[in-house]
Amino acid sequence: MSDAGASSRTGRLQTRLHVPRWVWGVVLALVVLLWRWTEVSDLAVTPAGRTIALQALTTGLLIGGVYGLVAMGLSLIFGVLEIINFAHGAFLTLAMYLTWVLADGVGIDPYLTLLITPLLMFLVGAAVQKVVINPAMGQPLENQLLLTFALSILIENALLLAFSANPRSVRLDYANASIGPVEFPLRIGGAIIELPRIVAFVGGLAVAWALFSFLNRSRVGTAIRAAGLNRTGASLVGVNVDRIQVLTFGLGTAVAAAAGVLVLPFLTLEPTTGTQFNILSFVIVVLGGLGNIGGALVGGILIGLTQEIGGLLFPGQSKLLPVFIIFIATLFLKPEGLFGGGAE
Amino acid sequence: MRRTRYLAVGLALTIALAGCGGDEADPEEATEDGAATETSTEAPTEEATETAAASPTEAGTASGEGCAELVIGSVHPLTGGLALDGTQMDAATQMAADDLSTDGLSITIASADSQGEPEIGQTEAQRLIQEGANALVGTYQSAVTTNLATVAQREQVPLVIDVAVDDAITSEDNDYVFRIQPNATAMGTFGAQYLQALGENAGEPIETVVYMHDETSFGTSVLAAFEAEAGNVGIEILETIAYNPFEVQDVTTEMQRVAAAAPDALVVTGYYNDGVLVAETAASVQPDVNAIVGVAQGAYDLPQFPQDTPDASNGIFDSNYHFDATKERVQDIRSRFEEENGDAMRTAAVLAYQAVEVIATAARSAASCDGADIAAAIQEVEVPEPLLTFPGPITFDDSGENENAQPVLMQVQEGEVLQVYPEEFAEAEPQFPAVPWQ
Amino acid sequence: MSTVLRDARGQLLVLAGLAALLATVPFWLEGSARTVMIRIIISAGVGVGWNVMGGFAGQFSFGHAAYFGIGAYSSAYLLVDHGISPWIGMAVGAVLAAAFGALTGWLSFRYRLRGAYFALATFAFAEMLRLVVQGQEWLNGTQGLQVPVLAESSWWMLQFSTTSPNYFLVGLGLLVVLQAITILLFHGRRGMFIVAVREDEEGAEASGVDATAHKVMAVAVSGAMTAVMGTFFVQVFFFIDPALAFGPAESVAILLPAVVGGTGTLWGPIVGAAILIPLGEWTSKIVRDPPPFLDFVAGRSGIDLMVFATLLILILLFLPKGVYGSLAERFRR
Repeated sequence: MSDAGASSRTGRLQTRLHVPRWVWGVVLALVVLLWRWTEVSDLAVTPAGRTIALQALTTGLLIGGVYGLVAMGLSLIFGVLEIINFAHGAFLTLAMYLTWVLADGVGIDPYLTLLITPLLMFLVGAAVQKVVINPAMGQPLENQLLLTFALSILIENALLLAFSANPRSVRLDYANASIGPVEFPLRIGGAIIELPRIVAFVGGLAVAWALFSFLNRSRVGTAIRAAGLNRTGASLVGVNVDRIQVLTFGLGTAVAAAAGVLVLPFLTLEPTTGTQFNILSFVIVVLGGLGNIGGALVGGILIGLTQEIGGLLFPGQSKLLPVFIIFIATLFLKPEGLFGGGAE
Repeated sequence: MRRTRYLAVGLALTIALAGCGGDEADPEEATEDGAATETSTEAPTEEATETAAASPTEAGTASGEGCAELVIGSVHPLTGGLALDGTQMDAATQMAADDLSTDGLSITIASADSQGEPEIGQTEAQRLIQEGANALVGTYQSAVTTNLATVAQREQVPLVIDVAVDDAITSEDNDYVFRIQPNATAMGTFGAQYLQALGENAGEPIETVVYMHDETSFGTSVLAAFEAEAGNVGIEILETIAYNPFEVQDVTTEMQRVAAAAPDALVVTGYYNDGVLVAETAASVQPDVNAIVGVAQGAYDLPQFPQDTPDASNGIFDSNYHFDATKERVQDIRSRFEEENGDAMRTAAVLAYQAVEVIATAARSAASCDGADIAAAIQEVEVPEPLLTFPGPITFDDSGENENAQPVLMQVQEGEVLQVYPEEFAEAEPQFPAVPWQ
Repeated sequence: MSTVLRDARGQLLVLAGLAALLATVPFWLEGSARTVMIRIIISAGVGVGWNVMGGFAGQFSFGHAAYFGIGAYSSAYLLVDHGISPWIGMAVGAVLAAAFGALTGWLSFRYRLRGAYFALATFAFAEMLRLVVQGQEWLNGTQGLQVPVLAESSWWMLQFSTTSPNYFLVGLGLLVVLQAITILLFHGRRGMFIVAVREDEEGAEASGVDATAHKVMAVAVSGAMTAVMGTFFVQVFFFIDPALAFGPAESVAILLPAVVGGTGTLWGPIVGAAILIPLGEWTSKIVRDPPPFLDFVAGRSGIDLMVFATLLILILLFLPKGVYGSLAERFRR
């Protein structure tokens, strides 16, 4: 049993993804459970039951990708700064409002704002880190948590003041278009997939890939990894750790912003919208291993699947209950995360 | 100075009452009255102050000598996720106070922010009462309203509920709580009846439904009432599907279950965001149903809904409380509200306006600003020409429910929300079968 | 930090003096100000409870709503469904909360959860309780429980008229008991060991202290203390529902006073509560009734919470050891 969260404050950033074989086992188990459901439920073994099962798998996968993307930003920030950022969801909301202004006010295609919103949010995140978070580095966990909590109240209410609580939405004109022979929403074996959800999933993977490449290949990325593995060591070899922390927080915020842009075309926006991702993101980050960025992505997908399949298996219960059960089990049995090991 | 004079009156009253107080609770009461008198010095008009000076009874101690200065506490969520309706409702109480104030009765609103939290709502309500509020209006949420109902009962100040659906809030044991809107039972019961009538009138009966609802007390209590009535009107519920309205981001799988059950109609109860999500997902999955019908659904009766979701809203019904769009007075209030506040006035805000009117009417007939007197008067009050689609005047039964509370069936037709049933409130004929994707 | 603990008798004397002073409050303060005082007391009480675990034992709990909720629901259920006195409900709640704390604490320590992992585990336990309770018909699901209003005041049923000073006095009494327990505990051997384990677990173990047992004890005591205030909360506010009892907002509200006042200090949570609650009241008052130069904020919803959040950030940044903690440190120098 490894000593998770050992008292030493050295980071545990992990930027490579090893998916152990047993994870596929878990996925397989979920699918078997699902199949079993189609047999025991009222629907018995009907084509309709199979369609629902297929839908649950698709939806879980797609929404899980988005969860994973949000959680990656959080995990990155934890890996380097070792803070639980409660304001992550609020940053996501802020990014969504930025996108809404650009799309609805200026008339830019919402997906094109992927080139603008994350950039702006990077600056916001970096500034917030420098002014508010940095002075609190090295303080106890609860101080940092409350600090980011206060930040989230501040952001949420600033948005309320600026935009009122009136729900806003951005919808794609081409959500139901057909590209060649492919018609949206897509129908695969009866399962329905809406265009914006596909874009969110694929876009999420693309952002993840970009983040991985940046961290693993670029000079700055190398510095971030160094700071994430050993702060003192990094500063000894000439890395400006303070600056790296500013960069990392900005980067994590930008990832959340990208997620915000990608989910906006299928969610309704209010000043509290992003906060709903907070709790799930915490769960996913632990599941993937705090600071394990690839783990967060896979963890997100696992949670997406668990939610959907759990929802079918236990229809009377909250979809979150199986998620928390898995969460607790992971904490106890494999506290370094499902994909942990080798970080330290 | 006039101000000092009132302070003196308040002080004298305090001392007088403290003097004759028998048990230990009295001194406090008296001091509060002093505070109330002090508050009244900040009367908005010179005139009103003059009247107040003439009769120091507005402090809420004596009764039967007329009410000149009525202070109504308005408790709504002005921040947080429900702030939109909350701020509208608060503005509406203000507008009602301005509209309904006369030379003889000046109405002031004291606003408070519940922040959507029961204990804050309760603290704020107590503060308002202690600062001189003679009655309360609120609160939009069942949990907060439940708390305020207790405050009202214990402080003997009437609470007129504008919006809150839980049946359990009112009871025969509590003489201080009144509700204008239909409660959960009325919502569910009428919902089932309208559904049945809708199918029968069109010659295509609705016999089976799947019910999707939010898992909070709102959705579960409306569902329970619908279930109870469904049997009576020959509707079978094939399946109920619950979801968390604050965290739901995808209901495609749920919609596939609807499609698999293939009911005559899909029934939906919930809030705005989840309602939009359900409608959009239905348009994608296109289950084989004849109608999508909201029962107390928080999105499908709003003009914003067809604007937000032009492709997924046409034909959707909602059985919900609604301002009576056919009445001129309502049109006037709503257009003035929109002028002042920018946003179109929602039904929740119209209900808040109506609540102030109920209290004002009762205060006039009680000729007293005392909370207990007003409460007794509300019990007997009859407010004609309600602003909502109620079949008769607003009167309250023993437990404080509006005896004529009744929802109306609306339908989105060509991008507009129109009242379609019952006939006396209909702006257009219902179109059935009808789903957005046809 | 442990040096803050001076002699127990002195601290108890301070507490007694403070209590005597505060006991006069209802006789010169009434109306809404008194309600605010009661909220300060509840906030201080849960903060004192949290501090035993989060401060002295150094086990950061981000899910103390679990204990608060257990206390609130135990007494509310027994009272509403069985007419049993809330005093008994309070005791039952405290025992249940201690048991729940001991169990989850033992599991967490057994599996060596620490720091952020431990915090998130406590968070998850509270969330699970919330989800489970809202699915229980016999606890009235998401609708929650409502305390019936009695015609007469009753000490046994812990219900008084709204103008009665008794709510305040009962709350004050409970707070004094909780604070006295804390003082005695951390001036005794057990408390010293708990702090020793926090400072150097291996060292403490080496000198024969059972680290796990002491940590579990701190969690159980802390849980029971918080549960007591949960019961008091229900009696004051007459209502409880799953979100109010077990929600993340409650967990944050519980750790706020301790952190703002100073974690691991005897008086921190009380100082923190005495600052935070009036601060919140003051910020909403500013928006409601702004001074002339701030006229533009009148009635703008959201500004009050922004001001509150900003002040909270400033306190955390400039007084990182809490208001009391930082001042006490400076004073000693």
